[in-house]
Amino acid sequence: MENKIDQTLDCKGLSCPMPMMKLAKAMKGLKSEEILEMLGTDPGTKSDLPRWCEKSGNEIIEEGELEGGIFRFLIKKK
Amino acid sequence: MSEKNKEPGVLGNLYKTFFAKHWPVWVGAIVLGILNILLFAIKSPWGASGGINNWGENVYKLIGIFGLESATATSTSFYGMLCIFLVIGSFIGALLSKEFALRIPPKGELIKGFIGGGLMAIGATFGIGCSIGSFYSGVPALSGGAIIFTIGMFIGVILALRYLMWEMEKFPKFSSGKSYNFLSGTGKSGNWQIYLGWIVLIITFIIAYKYSGGNKIMAWFIIIGMFMGLISQRSRFCIVKAFRDPFMTGDADGSVGVMAGLVISVFGFTAIKYFGIGAGDLAVRAREMTWVFPHFFFRAAIGGFIFGLGMTVAGGCAVGTLWRVGEGQVKLWASALGFLLISPISKLYIVPPIVKVIPQNFNFKNYLPDYLGYTGAVGLVLFIILIWYMFVKWNEKTGRFSAF
Repeated sequence: MENKIDQTLDCKGLSCPMPMMKLAKAMKGLKSEEILEMLGTDPGTKSDLPRWCEKSGNEIIEEGELEGGIFRFLIKKK
Repeated sequence: MSEKNKEPGVLGNLYKTFFAKHWPVWVGAIVLGILNILLFAIKSPWGASGGINNWGENVYKLIGIFGLESATATSTSFYGMLCIFLVIGSFIGALLSKEFALRIPPKGELIKGFIGGGLMAIGATFGIGCSIGSFYSGVPALSGGAIIFTIGMFIGVILALRYLMWEMEKFPKFSSGKSYNFLSGTGKSGNWQIYLGWIVLIITFIIAYKYSGGNKIMAWFIIIGMFMGLISQRSRFCIVKAFRDPFMTGDADGSVGVMAGLVISVFGFTAIKYFGIGAGDLAVRAREMTWVFPHFFFRAAIGGFIFGLGMTVAGGCAVGTLWRVGEGQVKLWASALGFLLISPISKLYIVPPIVKVIPQNFNFKNYLPDYLGYTGAVGLVLFIILIWYMFVKWNEKTGRFSAF
């Protein structure tokens, strides 16, 4: 059941637009079906990211909050 | 025992509607448009750079430099107070949704924040207004210069976005490194944020009430400013997002939101100007010329361009900076600091000598209805918004101009 993470992108402390720019760039470098883990703290990303995934066809397979106000997304490349 | 599974009541559901999730940008932008109309009906439209400049003047007044002893105290400045309560409103919104945290970014981001804020200050001095005064309020005020400012801003945003992408490619370390996050409201232990949010909200109303005896307009500015901050925070309303995202991820939601707010404001502002609502002892002509600044043509173009560069580098327009300050994003604290410290300097020393050598046409009255009539002016603005809408929607679908 554990998802195999192919790359981790640390966007903690960054604010708009850096998390989305870094995410889009990182996803470009992945192969289809590979999984990216993203960590961040910018509240805006929590609504920007799902919208971008919906439009780009990438899939959010896990979403959660860690301690200390950090959120975590697992995204599978289309 | 069954506490955990208890369904929220009517009020609980209402609370969740506002604070569980972000609002769509267009909802926030429309409400902001309505509040902007209300501000205009009471006194004059929304603006941000004037208020931030007032903060800066008061800082220098306190230090005793630049001869700003006669600067208006922030407690008596309508726009200084509007901006303060915009920050407080965003703080309340972030607390009530447990989204507040002190987010300290890597050093490179702080530097970019300060430089971006400084550029916004210079741009706003040139353009006699910022992303709000010369765009979000200026375009509905049917100012010809506001349209020029907007075009300048658009070019500035595209150029600065290219810089950010180049920087990310060539110097990725500039935006990475040690970052810190304090006072976040995760889980049950973060419920203090909700309590504090209510306390700050009540204090805001008390302050407004205190003002209401001697200065009714200020009481309204305090309440409206607070709601503007809260709504901007909940809907992530940001002008830079509206201009930048179609060229970045292709996302058009931010743009469409801002357009919705503009359309509402166009009708509200036009009604106020056309009928001279709230003119009082002023001539109707003065009411018509409200927020129509003498910045046609080069002042508006240069101002918009520099402002566009600044807000993209900072990652927040004038209002986007203010509400992110309230949310605890320290990069935007640096941006606000750059804005307020540079603004008085740019007004006193940087911009005046350049303005002297820039050709300006004072014969052009800059008020579009003078040339096109009210129908023509409103029609032109709506037509431009329609073209912009068609472009961002088409681009969202095709990704033709998006970087990713």
